Amino acid sequence: MRTHSELKAFIFGMIGVSLFLLLLMVLVYGESTGTILHGLALRSPLLLTGSADLSSFGGGFSANVIISLWAMLIVGVCGVVLGIGLISSNPAMRLPSSFLMNVLRNSPWLVILYAMLYLLPFEVTLFGTTYFISPTMKAIVGLSLPVTANMAEVFRGGVEAIPTGQWESARALGYRRLQILRHVVVPQAIPLMIPNIMTTYATLFIGTSLVVVTGTEDVLSLARVVIASDGDQFATGIYIYVLFLFFIFAFPIAVLTRWLERRIRRST
Amino acid sequence: MELDFGWLADPLYQQWLLRGVGTTLLLSALGIVLMLIIGILGAACLHFKLPVLELVVTIIVELLRNTPPLVQLFFLYFLLSEIGLSLTDPATGRSIPLFTGFTCVVLSLGLYNGAIAVEIIRSGLLAVPRETIEGARSLGYTRLQIFRYVELPMGLRLTIPAMTNNVVSLIKTSSQAVLVAVADLMYYATQIMLENFRNLEVMVLIWVIYILIATFAVLVIGRIAAATRIPGYGV
Repeated sequence: MRTHSELKAFIFGMIGVSLFLLLLMVLVYGESTGTILHGLALRSPLLLTGSADLSSFGGGFSANVIISLWAMLIVGVCGVVLGIGLISSNPAMRLPSSFLMNVLRNSPWLVILYAMLYLLPFEVTLFGTTYFISPTMKAIVGLSLPVTANMAEVFRGGVEAIPTGQWESARALGYRRLQILRHVVVPQAIPLMIPNIMTTYATLFIGTSLVVVTGTEDVLSLARVVIASDGDQFATGIYIYVLFLFFIFAFPIAVLTRWLERRIRRST
Repeated sequence: MELDFGWLADPLYQQWLLRGVGTTLLLSALGIVLMLIIGILGAACLHFKLPVLELVVTIIVELLRNTPPLVQLFFLYFLLSEIGLSLTDPATGRSIPLFTGFTCVVLSLGLYNGAIAVEIIRSGLLAVPRETIEGARSLGYTRLQIFRYVELPMGLRLTIPAMTNNVVSLIKTSSQAVLVAVADLMYYATQIMLENFRNLEVMVLIWVIYILIATFAVLVIGRIAAATRIPGYGV
């Protein structure tokens, strides 16, 4: 019976939250709920893909997903590098890494996003080719920075969860520190890290709502466009709809994370 | 690239920044209080397995934890301004809206971080040793008294590390207030940038101020943790 507790929580949460949001909608709109729902259905393609007739892809909610995936890629790489710095035995590496981690972790995402908007140049010239840095790219960088700190912590936590005996025996075999990490410790730590990495991704995904300030065509900025064109009476409905979109993407990740965590706890 | 902080000498800017810091601190403080109230009440509902409330709290917590606080803020802002309750100011006799941007931000911060606090406090309550609760029961405490005098005091102490993260997250999230035009630190920062175009310098300064506020909060919580520690109980 215990094995299906997450599945039950998942079904319960999905149905429960959907009903709750619908109830909110009915409470706000009363008899005109049908009209509002119809209006939302008409606007769905725009909010989901950024084009009114599903012809193209990459705006609206899909932009949030794409931004979160790109940012996660950056976070994965930089987080591991910073994490290696955090567990380094050399203070000259460890102290700056830990300082950087604390700074990134304690700063508001919005401030970093704004700072990146102004800090990153409009265009860069690499090997004679000029690349244009779009606001979306700046948003991706701005979002990756604070999450990199989370990722580094996850990496450090995972590595530290591996018993020190593994380190000692690998050293006895003549491996160097980075070799031990690469061949012995990290392969064992990855399964332990997966739930936390997923939580980090969910946090990042939820944070993509902030890119609205950079001028990217994400779901929130399109929601504002729709409100401006269709009228204020849609505002509450549209925000309920956006809440629902984020929820059905993030909630399965959260439930899956809990399930994995429980499996890991049981197996150790 | 050269950073020029000469504009900081301007008393107007200093005044704006101070006012912004004040608003941010006030927002965060009220948000933290609301967060704790919501967290304790919600965790109590789950802990006592209250028939309907348990389901409702679970649903709302899942909704709030898995959606962006920014969307929640916009949603509350529009919903509450539509309801449009207003108060009559006794001093001036003018009608002021009950749900200003400021109230909406405090509410949304309290709700979002409160939902996280519910989970934190619930796991804190679960971490209280069974023997202690059984001991209290054998002394004749009722269920509610056990909660009030045994589980909550010990459970809350156990939540301090997780709650520290939550408080820092709340302070960071409070910068969203600028997006519903509440005059917080971020808002005055954008004002200053509009005037002197020193975008980067202003942002760096604001960044540092936020980190200082968060660090200050962490230190204060550390002091509270040290002052309320019960020696010998591991909490």
